[in-house]
Amino acid sequence: MDFQFDVVVDSIPVLMEGLALTLQITFLGVVGGIALGVLAGLARVYGNVLINGIAMIYIEVIRGTPLVVQVMFIYFALPLATGLRVAALYAAIFAIVLNSGAYIAEIVRGAVLSINKGLIEAGKALGVSSWQNIVYIVGPLAFRRMVPPLGNQVIISLKDTSLFIVIGVGELTRQGQEIIATNFRALEVWTSVALIYLAVTTILAYLLRLLERRIRIL
Amino acid sequence: MTDTETTIEAAGNGAKMKGLVRFQHVDKNFGEVKVLKDIELTIDQGEVVVIVGPSGSGKSTLLRCINGLETISAGRLIIENQFDMSDPKTDLRKVRVEAGMVFQQFNLFPHMTARENVAFGARRARGKAKDEALATADELLARVGLADRGGHYPDELSGGQQQRVAIARALAVGPKLMLFDEPTSALDPELRGEVLGVMRALALEGMTMIVVTHEMAFANSVGTRLIFMDDGRIAHDGDPAEMFANPPSDRFRDFMKDVA
Repeated sequence: MDFQFDVVVDSIPVLMEGLALTLQITFLGVVGGIALGVLAGLARVYGNVLINGIAMIYIEVIRGTPLVVQVMFIYFALPLATGLRVAALYAAIFAIVLNSGAYIAEIVRGAVLSINKGLIEAGKALGVSSWQNIVYIVGPLAFRRMVPPLGNQVIISLKDTSLFIVIGVGELTRQGQEIIATNFRALEVWTSVALIYLAVTTILAYLLRLLERRIRIL
Repeated sequence: MTDTETTIEAAGNGAKMKGLVRFQHVDKNFGEVKVLKDIELTIDQGEVVVIVGPSGSGKSTLLRCINGLETISAGRLIIENQFDMSDPKTDLRKVRVEAGMVFQQFNLFPHMTARENVAFGARRARGKAKDEALATADELLARVGLADRGGHYPDELSGGQQQRVAIARALAVGPKLMLFDEPTSALDPELRGEVLGVMRALALEGMTMIVVTHEMAFANSVGTRLIFMDDGRIAHDGDPAEMFANPPSDRFRDFMKDVA
């Protein structure tokens, strides 16, 4: 086996640029995904037939189609249908927002439904309003239960950004591929790319464990 | 009879409201299942009504209709001579702040300390300021013998302590009426006494109480009225001592034997 470490060293600056973009897409995508997911999840639990139905269709469409197809639809198909063209980076972020939002909606729904009905009744029996019950009882308890699956979703979304290679966003995987296109050193470059993903997800998993230890999941 | 009446009179403060709770031909169905059948029941202020009966006889459902956790299917249910529980326009929150409830499973909020649990209703349902609500909480925790447990979370308290916190939590809202739904059934026998003691003290202070329980000794010594429910109906309604001395039916006699 011919493994040349200087190839790895030479690749690092470009791969780090890719990593920066990967982290940016992940961060903005998941933040938007949490906002969308909380809305859609609450719509599933508390919404009337119409709102619940819209949220359900959204979740099923996203869960039922591959992310690669979703982002290509946003980047290539949507401009043809609407005349609106978005930069590849924004298409990538939007795809993560939409995609993680659907899974986070189910996380939110599951967490809210897992809260003991007796606690909600206890709140009602005290004479507090429904929204006070949601804000002070259901919300804080559900939030704690959402932390482990949300962390999981962040790691999945981070790795999913590698699929945006198909629309030419210069994230980590794309940068690796472009380096190989010039030096043909697949072994060194893909090893480096894999180790960078692994390092980032390991750090994320560790931070998540710290957070889980700090909050009391009840 | 005379004993309990003097207790109420002694604890009384002015005119008693007649018909604090008024069931008139109330039915309650869960789908096809008739859980309450033609309930006729009037409870006046100051009464300590103990409801007993076999499981599935409708005791808990009857209690839960009073604060609107269940909606009645037919008939009329009037609380405090003003709240019509069959009218969808009735603001249930106004009824619930007047009718505190204690649950079999305590249902304390696990993310709040004992003190925060007790202050919660005072603050959020009655709109008291935070300091005032917490002061009320401290006072009530002292009354249920838990002055030194205010900073503890529910999972750091025994079942008996949790249920006493739950009683304080219901009282903190300032209700005219307290509903107890099998408050000691989830407790080990040695922990029941502390909860029953708090309830006895509350009764002696003149609180109107409706208690679903299997604690016959409590019914006999604290109750001013005993209701026996069977198959969704009020089968007997009378003075506890009399009913224990002369069981009004074989059904009641058998039930007493089973519970004892």
